[in-house]
Amino acid sequence: MRAVGLDIGSLSTKAVVMGGDGILSSAVVLSSDSAESSAKAALQQAMAKASQDGEIYVVSTGAGGKSVSFSRQNKAITTCLARGIHYLLPEARTVIDMGAESITVVRINERGRVSDYGNQDKCAAGTGIFLQQMAKLLRLSMEEMAVVSTKAKARAEITGTCAVFAESEVISHIHRDPPTPVEDIVAGIYISMVHRIMSQLQRVGVKKEVAVTGGVAANRGLVSILEEEIGHTVLIPPTPELAGAIGAALIAKENMIQGAS
Amino acid sequence: MTTTAKTPDRIDAILRACRLMLRMNRARPDARKSEVLYYEMLIDYCTQLATARQQGRFVAAHTVFFPCEVLYAMDIVPMHTETTSWMTALFLGQYADLLAAGAEQGLSSEICSPHRGLAGALSIGALPRPDAVLWSNMVCDNTAKCGELLMKITGSPGFFLDRPFQRSDEEMKYFVEELRDMVAFLEAQSGLKMDWGKLSETVRHMDEQIELFREINRLREAVPSPFHPQGFLELVTVDYLFPGRPKATEYLQTLRDELATAVAEHRGAVPKERYRLMTLFMPPMYLIGFLEKLSREYGAVSATEPFFCNWGEGRLDPAKPLESVAQKSYMLPESHMFGPMSEKAIGEIVESARRYEVDGAIYYADVGCRHTCATIKLFKDALSEIDVPVLTVDCDVVDPTVTSEGEVREKLERFFELLDDRR
Repeated sequence: MRAVGLDIGSLSTKAVVMGGDGILSSAVVLSSDSAESSAKAALQQAMAKASQDGEIYVVSTGAGGKSVSFSRQNKAITTCLARGIHYLLPEARTVIDMGAESITVVRINERGRVSDYGNQDKCAAGTGIFLQQMAKLLRLSMEEMAVVSTKAKARAEITGTCAVFAESEVISHIHRDPPTPVEDIVAGIYISMVHRIMSQLQRVGVKKEVAVTGGVAANRGLVSILEEEIGHTVLIPPTPELAGAIGAALIAKENMIQGAS
Repeated sequence: MTTTAKTPDRIDAILRACRLMLRMNRARPDARKSEVLYYEMLIDYCTQLATARQQGRFVAAHTVFFPCEVLYAMDIVPMHTETTSWMTALFLGQYADLLAAGAEQGLSSEICSPHRGLAGALSIGALPRPDAVLWSNMVCDNTAKCGELLMKITGSPGFFLDRPFQRSDEEMKYFVEELRDMVAFLEAQSGLKMDWGKLSETVRHMDEQIELFREINRLREAVPSPFHPQGFLELVTVDYLFPGRPKATEYLQTLRDELATAVAEHRGAVPKERYRLMTLFMPPMYLIGFLEKLSREYGAVSATEPFFCNWGEGRLDPAKPLESVAQKSYMLPESHMFGPMSEKAIGEIVESARRYEVDGAIYYADVGCRHTCATIKLFKDALSEIDVPVLTVDCDVVDPTVTSEGEVREKLERFFELLDDRR
């Protein structure tokens, strides 16, 4: 039997298949309207990659985790992030998960268990979807945004409290005479997101080392501004978007062992 | 400006809801006698309000923590504005039109919803028009500022009771004088005279009630918790609405005896107690039934609510009734959360967490309540030093559009998972 972790996010669904020696395979698919079908699609891809078709033990997590009928257990994303990051980066004590629709900060102990957490899910400001919207507005890809931000000489002032206001502020920067340089606008967008993250981080408390997970972690420009604000470098696992699914797979594996003993 | 009632007031509807609750309680074989008494008191309160006008009685609307014992001693009918508005949300599920009416009074959604709701309730006539409006600064600046608007909406005369934050001899003297002025105002407006003997008797009952609250607190230290998961709301309501009333003493004595029996029999209020929680600030009113159900589902009890149950030290003296009313205002559990936050108040929270052996704390951060939100970090840090995790639930105490049942369930389930993980 194989242990499988499924993280059903609002933008993407992640699957991780785990064997005795560690991760066998993983897959990321775009989430559809149905959490069940997204979970099946991700699972099929991951199982095919691992050349597995036997019995599985599934633990699910994420926004759609409860809707997966073939999952044996649903766990909170905070628990899964803690386990996942402890497996990937055992020295990490704080995880910042920058997801599509929320920011979650988890403080973990030396056993990979959650000590405390906080999350912001009331406004799109500071989330991955907000960043996508901004990229669209500036007609840049996410990668281009990251590169452009490194050339900024100043940071345009953009509110961090409301995604709608932030969007109109960006538009006004574009149409200003003379227009605010695009690199300064991008840096302004990043700093507004970082301020949002910092308020969660300060609520929970920063403990070194700090790891960053979630799809947004791949954005180097944003991460470097985050490092500036925190005052030290952060750790990013090789596949930051998979941390939650890896944690779920680890829990599935633990459950299988406990069930067998 | 006098606003005429646009809709019939909702006191009759609340009354019917309370009567239904009473009938349901009486029909339950395991019903607590104290719970029956509690609903009887609510029925008495609503009946008085519903019949006051007909009987030509003087009605005084007052804000939360106002010393309504003075009103009882003068035979004035008190109308606790916040609690009565909450009751429309809790028992009738009606809040949206009250908040919308509050918005028409210029109160934006960033302002505390109980104040928006009560201004709205008075403006559309959901609450009866009072003969006087009484308010104070014993709670927050919002309450201190709300009275003028309530006077304008109702066209009633009003009195602002100014209570100093601190409790020196000088300040106590000042506050007693303020209370004396308020009595004079009420005598002039109502034509009624203060019955000082009745006030002394009320103070004697209040003193006994505070002792009973303390006894109940001691009994609630037991593991498993003998009190039902969200039961503290009953205690809060009893003190808000019935301070010094003989029936409140009877309710507290009955509850004390019921808890003592449960403790002796090692009987918990939920089938299998798994999590002992500390409740900080007020959970959303519209979720009380849901929270009670969730508590039973997960074996989670609110073991202590220091801001609503930890009474300050001291005894009241019936021979000095007005001084005792002043003193009680500084002994109120809620007085710890308002005004400048002291090291002592934070220390008491930490001490409560130890005394009640809590596994975690739930901090209900009402988005419209500035002082509630301003102290999140102070309490979180203090409790984390003794390894008690704190879950912050951003919510609104009345307005369900801020936080849904699903969101709160999700957050609490995650928190329970965290508590399990720490074992």
